[in-house]
Amino acid sequence: MSVVSQMSRDGRQLTISIKGRFDFAKHQEFREAYEHQDLESVVVDLKEATYLDSSALGMLLLLRDHAGGDDADIRVINSSMDVRKILAISNFDKLFDIT
Amino acid sequence: MADTHLDRDVLNALQEVMEGEYPTLLDTFLADSEQRLRQLRRAADAQQLIEAAHSFKGSCGNMGALRLAHLCGRLEYTAKDSSLADIEQLLIEIDSEFAIIRPLYEAERQRPLAQS
Amino acid sequence: MNATQPQASLTILIAEDSAADRLLLSSILRRAGHVVLTAANGVEAVAAFRQQQPHLVLMDAMMPVMDGFEAARQIKALAGETLVPIIFLTSLSESEALARCLEAGGDDFLAKPYNQIILAAKIKAMERLRRLQATVLQQRDQIARHHDYLLNEQRVAKAVFDKVAHSGCLNAAPNIRYLQSPYALFNGDLLLAAFTPSGDMHVLLGDFTGHGLPAAVGAMPLAEVFYGMTAKGYGLAETLREMNAKLKRILPVDMFCCAAVLCVSFHRRCVEVWNGGMPDGYLHRVASGERTQLVSRHLPLGVLSPEVFDDCTDVWPMALGDRVFLLSDGVIDTADAQDQLFGAQRLQQVFASNRQPDVLFAEIEQALRDFGGQARDDVSMVEISLLQSGLIHPASLVYSDSGQSCPLDWSVSFEFRAATLRRFNPLPYLLQLLQEVHGLRAQSGPLYSVLTELYANALEHGVLGLDSSLKRDASGFVRYYQQRKARLDTLDEGFIRVHLQVTPTDGGGRLVIRIEDSGEGFDVARVMRRPMDDIRLSGRGVSLIRQLGQNARWSDDGRSACVEFFWEEMA
Repeated sequence: MSVVSQMSRDGRQLTISIKGRFDFAKHQEFREAYEHQDLESVVVDLKEATYLDSSALGMLLLLRDHAGGDDADIRVINSSMDVRKILAISNFDKLFDIT
Repeated sequence: MADTHLDRDVLNALQEVMEGEYPTLLDTFLADSEQRLRQLRRAADAQQLIEAAHSFKGSCGNMGALRLAHLCGRLEYTAKDSSLADIEQLLIEIDSEFAIIRPLYEAERQRPLAQS
Repeated sequence: MNATQPQASLTILIAEDSAADRLLLSSILRRAGHVVLTAANGVEAVAAFRQQQPHLVLMDAMMPVMDGFEAARQIKALAGETLVPIIFLTSLSESEALARCLEAGGDDFLAKPYNQIILAAKIKAMERLRRLQATVLQQRDQIARHHDYLLNEQRVAKAVFDKVAHSGCLNAAPNIRYLQSPYALFNGDLLLAAFTPSGDMHVLLGDFTGHGLPAAVGAMPLAEVFYGMTAKGYGLAETLREMNAKLKRILPVDMFCCAAVLCVSFHRRCVEVWNGGMPDGYLHRVASGERTQLVSRHLPLGVLSPEVFDDCTDVWPMALGDRVFLLSDGVIDTADAQDQLFGAQRLQQVFASNRQPDVLFAEIEQALRDFGGQARDDVSMVEISLLQSGLIHPASLVYSDSGQSCPLDWSVSFEFRAATLRRFNPLPYLLQLLQEVHGLRAQSGPLYSVLTELYANALEHGVLGLDSSLKRDASGFVRYYQQRKARLDTLDEGFIRVHLQVTPTDGGGRLVIRIEDSGEGFDVARVMRRPMDDIRLSGRGVSLIRQLGQNARWSDDGRSACVEFFWEEMA
């Protein structure tokens, strides 16, 4: 299972963990991880993500749109150097809290 | 057993498969075998002898003539290294084995169809 | 002996020289429901195969005339791509003989004496394989057909796109060099270039998410906005806002377009840059060899809603001969045989070791070729140099109406106040208005340049009170534009008035443009004393106005500027 999601006990924070390449192949799994949930705050954990491409950026935008658009509370954590560079060039740190 | 002339079980199985065609199969085999015996005698060199013996062995096996198949096998494997005298001896044995089983097959022709 | 599940009836060829064995096998197979063909030697077997195309072959290894091995080879050759399983019938026990069966193309073997159950099982297994192979071939052909359809769709899309892109100047301008794969469009790579009416050049290098048609589809509306607005004289900021809004509206949420957009002004000797998501561009200064990195500061187009979109640009001075390079990430990501990336560092090395700016572009191309080996479809690169303005000739717009109903004697006045000055650029509208006068159309370029210059002066030096001498050096340049933005954002009083008057003359007509601002004015006499063709970074563009228009004059302590244009009746 390369996309694992877990809701916190109080039901207020969803953590989605990505293993391996974060690319178009994970499209469906990623969407299924959040689409039937009520989202208050979301954490995307990229600790085991090896690679990120523009379709992953698109998937993050879909998540943000689903989670309330401009009001969404989404954090992207444990990004590697490479991943962070990609997020920086596209300035996605203006939309997501990235660490 | 190498000494069995005709394996009954094989014959039964053949009869079941062939049904009404069983006699035809027996006839075909007998005619075929006579031709092969002639082939064996007419073999010009060791290689031809080996091939003929090999083929005959296969047929005999299918038809349940175990001892005959065994003899053909011996001929196949020893032809290269045997003396003409030894080869002649094997050929005589093969001829006489066939003479024994031939009437047995002919008797089979008369057998009514076994109950299934 | 009735076996397991009923099997589809196959046509099976038995090649066996022993008549009894042949008869036996035929019966076994017929009882199992198959159609049986027989052959007594290899030649008969091949002939029977050619005529009847059986599904499966049972082949005796030793046969006269032509043995089973040769017959098997010939049959496999005749079968081609289709799988026709061949089961060798053999009492060969030595492994070498068995190896011969497989070498000859046999798929399995059946030992004598024949065991019906084993035979049935092998036939079943071979039939499964045969069907599998047939399915594979069918799907392969289907895929090939589908692929052809896709290629054709892409050809059509590209043809349409090329028509849209037709109005650009990518191939016409002497100061642009570019490298782009013919498949770029379907990698989402976009390269657009067009002249503004005043002779400035807008360039866009973009990269849509995705591949194939979805990536190409976003390119067309974007290109239309870019070309349309540029031709009308809209500035970079407005064009960016409109492009972003359009993409945001029409593209799905997860699609966007990374873009590096420039306005290179030959008159003002500067380049205005907006980079959202593209790799660093480079401004290469010829005199000092210095390189300025044009870093991505914005989110890509199509992500933010119009209310929060940031159209803020960076402005850098450019001298004659300076160049700007933009690249797609295909350049940095070009890999060699060991999967090493070309990388930004290597690119910087090429820049650093270049001695002749004119060949820099070719050197980068060469470096990529030398490194890569694997040519990629998404390598796009463009170089724009600042050339002498006389060398650039934007094509003038051609109109087809007769001019019988154009306005020849009229005047209009506008007053733009603070709230409007903050958010509205009236120049495209004013130019549009003046284009109604046919006699002026041939002078659109100079007219627009003069209007732009007058308005910029009135706004920046007049209303905003910016000191043009700040633009004397590169760092001052940056400060100037930062101040411009800050002051404009907080502007709450002031005005600019624009008066246009068109009157007929003997044999033609005359346009008088007067622009007034609410600023402090300037020392007109001192500026006038400067020599006419002195092009500098600073100054109020007064030279330009005097060169392009007639009877340029300033009054009211410099707060009011006036210039005229004349034209003759066309025959």
